[in-house]
Amino acid sequence: MEQNPNIVVIEDSRVQALRLKHLLEEQGSHVECVESAEAAFDLLNGRRADLVLVDYHLPGMKGDEFCRQIRMNVATRDIPVLMLTEDTGDGVEQMGLESGADAYISKAAETEMLLLRVNTLLKKSSTTTSFYAEGTRHFRMARLLIVDDSPTFLELLKLQLSEEGYDIETATDGKDALRLIGDRQFDCIVVDLVMPGMDGIELCQRLEKIRKSVVSPITVLMLTSRDSKEDMMRGLEAGADDFVVKSADSAVLKARVRALLRRKFLLEENQRIIAEFRAKEVELARVEGEKKAAEERAALSERLKQVNKELEAFCYSVSHDLRAPLRGMDGFSQALLEDYGDKLDETGRNYLWRVRKASQTMAVLIDDLLALSRVTRGEMQKMVVNLSEMARSVTENLQQTAPDRKVAFKIASDLTATGDERLLRAAFENLLGNAWKYTSKKKKAMIEVGTTNHDGKTAFFVRDNGAGFDMAYADKLFEPFTRLHSRSEFEGTGIGLATVQRIVHRHGGKVWADAAVGKGATLYFTL
Amino acid sequence: MDGEILIVEDNPDDEALVIRTLNKINVKNGIRVVRDGAEALEYLFRTGQYADRKSARPIVVLLDIKLPKVDGLEVLRRVRADKRTKTLPVVILTSSDEQEDKVRGYDLGCNSYVRKPVKFDEFAEAVKSLGLYWLLLNEPPPETA
Repeated sequence: MEQNPNIVVIEDSRVQALRLKHLLEEQGSHVECVESAEAAFDLLNGRRADLVLVDYHLPGMKGDEFCRQIRMNVATRDIPVLMLTEDTGDGVEQMGLESGADAYISKAAETEMLLLRVNTLLKKSSTTTSFYAEGTRHFRMARLLIVDDSPTFLELLKLQLSEEGYDIETATDGKDALRLIGDRQFDCIVVDLVMPGMDGIELCQRLEKIRKSVVSPITVLMLTSRDSKEDMMRGLEAGADDFVVKSADSAVLKARVRALLRRKFLLEENQRIIAEFRAKEVELARVEGEKKAAEERAALSERLKQVNKELEAFCYSVSHDLRAPLRGMDGFSQALLEDYGDKLDETGRNYLWRVRKASQTMAVLIDDLLALSRVTRGEMQKMVVNLSEMARSVTENLQQTAPDRKVAFKIASDLTATGDERLLRAAFENLLGNAWKYTSKKKKAMIEVGTTNHDGKTAFFVRDNGAGFDMAYADKLFEPFTRLHSRSEFEGTGIGLATVQRIVHRHGGKVWADAAVGKGATLYFTL
Repeated sequence: MDGEILIVEDNPDDEALVIRTLNKINVKNGIRVVRDGAEALEYLFRTGQYADRKSARPIVVLLDIKLPKVDGLEVLRRVRADKRTKTLPVVILTSSDEQEDKVRGYDLGCNSYVRKPVKFDEFAEAVKSLGLYWLLLNEPPPETA
C-alpha cells in the first residue's frame, strides 16, 4: 500500500463527514467525502480506494445495497468496507454484514475503536494481492445498452435503471446497437423483441457470434410486450439470457438486470480466477523447475567438493606414504654402496645401482603424477604474464643441468598472456624440458619459442629440431603414461604433455602438435 | 658441542638414514629420537615422561610433518607459541612436496625444509641457513654423502 491510504467516506451528514475526514487525515490518510452511494460510484469509477466508510442510512441507495454493488464488481470486491450507523439494533448490523461489509461500527463508538477498525481494515487491504493490471484495478460502473425502437420507452427504462447506478447508453435499432457494441464493451444489453428492421431475435443471433469472439461475457435481457411462452423460447434459443415482460413492475426489471450482472461478474471472476490459476501454475512450474535445477547444481557442486577433497587426501597419501618405502630402498641401497661397496664385486654394485635407479624412477613418477593432479586442483590466479621471460628462465635452468650442451635458443621477445603464472611455468617447464630432452642427440640443437596466427587467435609454440615423432601417433601424445619413445632412447614418464594439456584446457585454450620423425616437433597452444 | 639434535620421526627407516647422514658428516652432538608429536611436545616442554629431563634445550629439531597423535605442523605451532621454545630452530623433514604444507610450515615459523631422504648437501644447506653450521659440524664435510 502507498504511504497515504485513500479512504472514501460516504456520509450524508456534513458534520459527521467532516469529523471523520479530520480524524482520518490526522492519521495520514487521504480522505474524500461524498454524500450518497451514487456519488461514491462516480468517485470510484476510475479511482482506486483502499477503504470505504459507508453510513448505513443514506438518501437513495442504502449502505447495504452499496456494499452489494461493490462486492459484485471484480475490481472492487476486495476494497474493505466499514459500515457506520447510529442504529444499534442487531438487525441493521446483520443486514450490513450480509451485504458484504467487512466490519460494522456504531457512530457512538469511541474514536479509538473506530481508528482501530480502520487500521485493521487497511492492513487487510494491503495484504490483498491482485492479479489485475493496475489500469483495470479501479471500480467500473456496469455498462448497459438499451435497444428499443420507441424513444419514450427508452427514456423511461434509462431513468429507471439509472437509479441502480449504471452507465447507460441507448440505441433505437439493431444496426445502431451493433455499431455501439463494436465501439465499446457493455456488460448487459437490454433488447426489445419487436423492432422494425432487425428485430430482437436477429440482434441476439448477431450478438451470439460476437460473444464468441470477445473475452468478456455479454449478457442479454430480452424485453417483450406480451407474456408469451413462444417468444420466450425463441429469445432464449437465439441467445438471450433472460426475459422480462415490459408491463412488469420496474422492480422486476431492476432485479433481473442485477441478477444478470451478478452472473456476468461471476463469469468474469471465474475467468480471472482461471487465468490467475494458470498463471500461478506456470509460475509454480517455473519456480519448481528453478528450485530443482538449483538443488541439482548444489548437489553436484557438493559432490564435486567431496570428490576434490577425496582426491586431495589421496594425493597427499600418495605423496607421503608411497614415497616412504622408496626412500628406504634408495637410501639403504645407497648406504650399502657407500659403506660396503668395497665388499661387493662389480656385478653386485651394478645390481644395487639398478635398485636405486628403479626406486628413483618410481619417485619421479610419483612426483609427476602429483604435478599432474596439482594442475587440475587449486584456484587459478590469472594475471598478465611475460612468457618470454618465463621461457628464458626455464631454459637457463635447463642449461644449468647440462652446462656443456650447446643449444641455440631463439625466444621471441615481448610474449605476454593472461593466465596463472604457476601453471604456465609448469607448462613451459614440460614443453621446453621435452624440447631439451629430444634434441639431446642433435649436434646442432635448436629450440624456438614464438607465436603464430591460428584461426585469428594467437597461438604460442615451442619448436625443436630433435627426434620428433610419427604424426600417426599424435592422438596418443597427450594421454598420461603414453610414450612415443622407448626408455632406453629417452627417459620419461609420459606425463609431461598430459600436464600441459590440462593446464591449457584450464585456461580455455587448445594444444596440438606438428612433427616428423627425425625432423623435430612443434607444440602449439592457445590460451 | 652442547645440545642435542632432536629428531621427531616415526618411520624407523627414515630415522636410520637421517642418523647415518648425521654420523657421516661427523656431527658430534647427541641425537635424541622421539616417535610422535605428543612425545616431542612432552620432551620439549618437560612434561609427562620427560618431566624430569635434565638435558639442555635441543640445538635443532628435525621434525617430520606426518606424525602419529599430534602432527608436525601442530608441534611447530605449539613450539612457536611458547616463549621458552619460540626461537628454537626447526627444520621440517618432509617427503611431501605439497605446496600447502610448505606454505603452512613457513606460516607457522619453520626455519627450513629438508626433503627426505636427507642428503648431505641439502642438509648442509639447511643447517647453514640456520646459522648452525659451526655448532654442528666439527670437521669440514666430506666430498659426497
